[in-house]
Amino acid sequence: MIEPALVFVENLAFVSALRNSTLAYPLINAGHILGVALLIGGIVPLDLRLMGFWRHYPVMVFVDVLRVTSAFGLGLAVVCGSLLFATAAVDYAGSMLFRVKMVVVLLGVSNALLLARVLKRRDIRSLPMGASMPLPLRAGALMSLVFWMSALTLGRLLGYF
Amino acid sequence: MPHVRFTHLLGFAFLVAVLAASAAHAHHGWAWATDEEFEITGTIQSMRLGNPHGEVTIDVDGEAWVVEVGQPWRNDRVGLSKEILSVGREMTVHGHRSAKEGERLVKAERIVIDGTNYDLYPGRDS
Repeated sequence: MIEPALVFVENLAFVSALRNSTLAYPLINAGHILGVALLIGGIVPLDLRLMGFWRHYPVMVFVDVLRVTSAFGLGLAVVCGSLLFATAAVDYAGSMLFRVKMVVVLLGVSNALLLARVLKRRDIRSLPMGASMPLPLRAGALMSLVFWMSALTLGRLLGYF
Repeated sequence: MPHVRFTHLLGFAFLVAVLAASAAHAHHGWAWATDEEFEITGTIQSMRLGNPHGEVTIDVDGEAWVVEVGQPWRNDRVGLSKEILSVGREMTVHGHRSAKEGERLVKAERIVIDGTNYDLYPGRDS
């Protein structure tokens, strides 16, 4: 079924080299952490601002800046994470924690894409300073916080169970 | 509107750091294992070398034990290779077993195969 594909990935020359490397593996690991740091470090203040924190600062400053750094972080985490996955693809694919984490990441991405559409439609740029965000945005921001914090926690637990 | 004080945030960050550090203790290093020197001998069933560290499963009287060996550079340094850890060979592990009750997991300090010592942690007593 999917097993031969996973074994094939594990046995790719560059994946084997990474698995047995001295420096490359910890560096890719660092890249994954940097990606997660940028993602969480951007998404937390952005979500909190949408939920009502720091209302005396313009919301679009948060949206325009932190959306970019978070998305970049997510991209970096996905690229480095895929490489780490490849070095032990069979084990990861068999891990329930890993599967749940992937579902949570997909939920996080879908939620972010949905939020981006709502942001565009609701024209929050023209809301008065200090105004409360529309309910769908506040709810989406709360879900975003839950999804990304869960993804981080599940990822960390993976190393221990 | 919630008002967040910097000192509150700092306190929260400290709490998170302490929790993260204790979680890290759970696996890395030696803190998850007992302090007692442990020795076990078995037949190699399967092994997987590579990052973050290699794992060798040995059969000890019908029970499977997982032996954690080193990361690639540590194994390479003492010449512990795939060929030496071939399936069916007998090996003796000196190290520390997991402190978790009933868990058959050992972190190896030194491995002996066919009378040859592979001392992964020369700085530690084994």
